[in-house]
Amino acid sequence: MKLWFTAALIALTGAVRAEVLLSADEIEQTLSFGPWSPSFHSDPSNRVSNNARAIALGEALFNDPVLSSDGAFSCASCHDPEQAFTTPEARALGRVLLDRNTPSLRNLAGLRWYGWGGKSDNLWAASLHPIIEEQEMAHSPESLKTAISESAYIDDFEAIFGVIQNQDPELVLVNTAKALSAYLETLVADRTQFDDFRDALERRDFPAAAYYPEAAQRGLQLFLGRGNCVFCHNGPRFSNNEFHDAGVPYFLNETEVDEGRFGGLNFLLSSPYTLDGDWNDDPDKHGAWAVRNVRRSHADFGTFRTPSLRGVAETAPYMHDGSLRDLNGVIRHYSKINTDRLHTDGEAILLQLNLSEQEIADLVAFLMTLSKASY
Amino acid sequence: MLKQICILSAALFCSSAIAQERPIFDAHIHYSHDAVKLVPPEQVAKILRDAGVRKALVSSSDDNGTQLLLAAAPDIVVPALRPYRRRGEINTWMHDESVIDYLEENLAKNDYEAIGEFHAYGDDIKTPVIQRMIALAKERNLILHHHGDREAVDLIFETWPEARVLWAHSGFDDPARVVDALNTYPRLWADLAFRSDMASRGRIDPDWKEAFEAHPDRFMVGTDTFAPERWYYVGPHADFSREWLDLLPDQIADNIAYANAERLLASE
Repeated sequence: MKLWFTAALIALTGAVRAEVLLSADEIEQTLSFGPWSPSFHSDPSNRVSNNARAIALGEALFNDPVLSSDGAFSCASCHDPEQAFTTPEARALGRVLLDRNTPSLRNLAGLRWYGWGGKSDNLWAASLHPIIEEQEMAHSPESLKTAISESAYIDDFEAIFGVIQNQDPELVLVNTAKALSAYLETLVADRTQFDDFRDALERRDFPAAAYYPEAAQRGLQLFLGRGNCVFCHNGPRFSNNEFHDAGVPYFLNETEVDEGRFGGLNFLLSSPYTLDGDWNDDPDKHGAWAVRNVRRSHADFGTFRTPSLRGVAETAPYMHDGSLRDLNGVIRHYSKINTDRLHTDGEAILLQLNLSEQEIADLVAFLMTLSKASY
Repeated sequence: MLKQICILSAALFCSSAIAQERPIFDAHIHYSHDAVKLVPPEQVAKILRDAGVRKALVSSSDDNGTQLLLAAAPDIVVPALRPYRRRGEINTWMHDESVIDYLEENLAKNDYEAIGEFHAYGDDIKTPVIQRMIALAKERNLILHHHGDREAVDLIFETWPEARVLWAHSGFDDPARVVDALNTYPRLWADLAFRSDMASRGRIDPDWKEAFEAHPDRFMVGTDTFAPERWYYVGPHADFSREWLDLLPDQIADNIAYANAERLLASE
């Protein structure tokens, strides 16, 4: 009887394992993409991080045009909560057509750099810059102070930050950004079919893992193997959060280019709103080592931050300028990447993959499972 | 006394102004087929002038870009002939005998100061195509602008001991090994294109400083416009170069900024 049970178990295990296509090494790599959701850690540079009242105020301000100088639009106008905190335009439309695609705002807590060019090293600074950027919300610190003072949010603002009239306009600006940041750091992409697969593998529950589509598994194998996408898109966020030349042209017009990380770094190093600055609420300035030590490189020019792939199916179009309409286009871009554009001693990781139609479909199938919509 | 202070102030001001405007010989420029389509020669010439680049060693894939730019800025462009018709030939050109015809045709109809930048590593130098290319350079006493490793440098000098070789990117080697190569070959020069490790945040790397002091007459700067958009980095690169060169003694800084490249061109 015991022997029969063991044989049945072996047969059963063997049969189920056959449906999980990954090798032991691939399973090990797959586990590195989780667990999801990540545990929350308060931002020590923001004294109102994880403060319920600040989170509520931040959410209200995010959705209210009070943060634009003329009340023309809110943060949510471009970062639409109903559209994964982005919009489907290739390039964002502020007061003018902006240079870049609107990034989604989920999974931002605790990153080292923010923005396509990394011009901020913390989330409250990343929230602050659009408020005073002329082509976006176009407030001055003074006009923002007036707007907040005259808004319906003044009581909440003062309950959190103290009497506004005692605050310098720049302090009002920073406090407003910190309330926004408190809200934004709560935005986390949902768990997905991929997470169920990954967790089942961790539990060695292969029958459960086998529910993950084989096409997605084949796509994952390409992602880990020949495609080597994992080189940059790694960890639970599927991003190394660093800056790369992905072979996408970066002309803005006939006489201008998007300088990418080069411009972002120049901005960062002259900004008063870094973790190394006086507006950091953390007396120990954790994390300031990065801005203190980051080095300029010629390779920075025209490089952009690796985006997270969490929820990627919901955030088309793609790349820093939204030039690729769908995931199929992204995979085809990498499959036939113009390596002539890349420096011979630069992004040596990128090679023409020359993927078959089946492989392209498999990679897209895998990416689709990183979004809740694929459930 | 007041007059002396004024003179001193004026002198300081002039010195500062001169330092800000230190001319640049950009020893590593490409104007290849895709850049020609996207950035017109007149625009390129303006970019160079605005950046304070007074001379530029230009090589392009194909050579059409160099000739167009030479016509647009004859006072700036120092033409070099690259053995590529398209940039994608970097890894295969040494096995393609039609490259020789291409070189010979262009050498017959145009004047050049150099052949390169060409990519070659180790034994690549022994291929018939590269051996013939070196022979063509030797016939005309042209500089060889070489991108590759030390072994290839050794083989170039083994092939032609009197060659003048400009080592692109200083071989992406560390300063001590670059110094060793310069010690070994008195007719080797080194460009610093696409390297950022010489200085950071207002401080010269001590190993590089030692290299510049050991060979103050052998280094030069370069942007490496390897993609069309990189033309818009020529200005920032010139600023970057002036910024870190200012950390060196004036004589060495001037040498690296422009004088070494000019002397290389004037050498026999």
